[in-house]
Amino acid sequence: MAIMRPSTCLTPFFVACTAWLAVWPLAAQDDYQPGPDAQPKEGVPKGTVTQAKWTTSRIFPGTERDYWVYVPAGHDSSKPACVMVFFDGGGFVNEKGAFRVPTVFDNLIQAGEIPPTIGIFVNPGVVPPAKAGQEGRKNRSFEYDTLSDQNPRFLIEELLPEVAKTHRLSDNPDCRAVCGNSSGGIAAFTVAWERPDVFRKVVSHIGSFTNIRGGHVYPALIRKTEPKPLRVFLQEGENDLDNLHGNWPLANRQMEAALKFAKYDHKVVFGTGGHSGKHGGAIFPDTLRWLWRDWKTLKP
Amino acid sequence: MTMKTLSFAYFLSAAFLATASRAQDMPLSQILIDGEGWEVVSEGHGFTDGLCPDAEGNLYFSDVKSGTAIYKVDLAGKVTEFIKDAAGISGLKWGADGRLYACVARGRMVVAFDKDGKMTELAREVQPNDLAVTHDGNVYFTMTGTKEIRRIDPKGVMTVVNAGTVGKPNGITLSPDQGTLAVSDYGGKYVWAFRIEADGTLAHPEGYMTMRIPAADPEVAKGDGMTVDTHGRWYVTTAVGLQMFDPTGRMGGVILKPQEANLVSCCFAGPNLEYLHVACGDKIYRRKTKTRGVLTFQPPRPAEAMPK
Repeated sequence: MAIMRPSTCLTPFFVACTAWLAVWPLAAQDDYQPGPDAQPKEGVPKGTVTQAKWTTSRIFPGTERDYWVYVPAGHDSSKPACVMVFFDGGGFVNEKGAFRVPTVFDNLIQAGEIPPTIGIFVNPGVVPPAKAGQEGRKNRSFEYDTLSDQNPRFLIEELLPEVAKTHRLSDNPDCRAVCGNSSGGIAAFTVAWERPDVFRKVVSHIGSFTNIRGGHVYPALIRKTEPKPLRVFLQEGENDLDNLHGNWPLANRQMEAALKFAKYDHKVVFGTGGHSGKHGGAIFPDTLRWLWRDWKTLKP
Repeated sequence: MTMKTLSFAYFLSAAFLATASRAQDMPLSQILIDGEGWEVVSEGHGFTDGLCPDAEGNLYFSDVKSGTAIYKVDLAGKVTEFIKDAAGISGLKWGADGRLYACVARGRMVVAFDKDGKMTELAREVQPNDLAVTHDGNVYFTMTGTKEIRRIDPKGVMTVVNAGTVGKPNGITLSPDQGTLAVSDYGGKYVWAFRIEADGTLAHPEGYMTMRIPAADPEVAKGDGMTVDTHGRWYVTTAVGLQMFDPTGRMGGVILKPQEANLVSCCFAGPNLEYLHVACGDKIYRRKTKTRGVLTFQPPRPAEAMPK
């Protein structure tokens, strides 16, 4: 781990001092807070958030996961709407988290800065244990870090059709965005990279474009592939991880350089944080404004 | 610095760390000890295989090619013939019933030896490669040639519990809680994870771990013998070395082979089960580690969290 654990900081006293010195600057540099757009505003109607469970995946057999669907206030579900998918969705939908997406959506949709958007917040799968006392199989890394079409197909063939039974979703790939943090960040990129016919907007925070399961090759692939019609936002922190899988700041710089080389529509914001969602959350309203800046020209 | 300041720093650190990465990184430095390399435990064999420990940490192994016995290495390092007249064995595991289970590749049998060395046939006309034995007495074994995983239940009934998922099923091991069975592919690049159902059948196979492959043969990792440690990390012998995976299936590193020969079996044995042992060609090697092995004949328990 690049980061000391709190219990290590306490004993003995000498170690505590050393750990304190190591951790203190990081804490100060990662002091990002949700801004006013992440607070409920008077007069702005609140959308609805509905929680559900997906237990019948064919693409990830045996997995179970929670997901949440956000629908803007007053939305007519018979009309096609833009859609934005969030991996590790439970964190993004949390009204006390770093992102508070439902509130941000309420405010920005009301202000006309982003389109009326259905938010889908999906957690990674777990193969639950067969017997009490067992741990089950955590499927997050397999689903998010693997470079393949499996996770894109999970969205396109399983989750989106289920949501579309209740809320009509736009077929326009420019009206479909996907977002995630860390392994969820590279997973978001993989969705659009594999299926630009379906998703073309990507937001990655502290994205794991490192060798967890081979994701470090994306900059090379981007440079030597005819550019795909994607819009990519990357947030990264100078004090992000440097571990056995790779160096996160360098990996995101490589992504930035490759996207620039191949002339992608992209934006990269570097902060001073570590491996947390705090910076990405603090700037998220502006990220959405950039991502959807021409939404009024799109036909959902 | 006063204690008051320290507590405040601790509070801030904890608040910061609460949002830090959720998946724990498990580099090889958590396992290997600087200056502790491979040392020869036994030599002069043909093709060593079938490593397994007992509760005291004694090591058992076979020599598939030229061996005539099941060999034992005691805690003092002395090598003896533990069971004589046992040739062509490719897999060994102790069961909770005190019997030593064995895949007799040459004799096309799965057998069990009791404490007096008396052999009982559990299955015949089979082509077993390697096996895992659960605490509740289920024997799972791989049939590499027919792409099968078979089970012999505690009543002795044999069934095919998977066929066709793994191209060349070879190594086989259990998670510390015995809820997950892992099977390596000698002819591909994945280690497959299965859920062991309450009735002992297998469900939900997934190519959970992607092995590193040799540059010369980019589709074939030669996944072979497997083991786990108390933290739920998986180990698999392959063409490029002993590959370690964290409990969520992320490759953590490749431990280099002790010599340029076939690396086919691994387990933790020796004092406190802290010594990683491998079968590599004509020799058995070991090295001290910072971690410990799991005895599958003992009651299952959850993987231990890494010390903080």
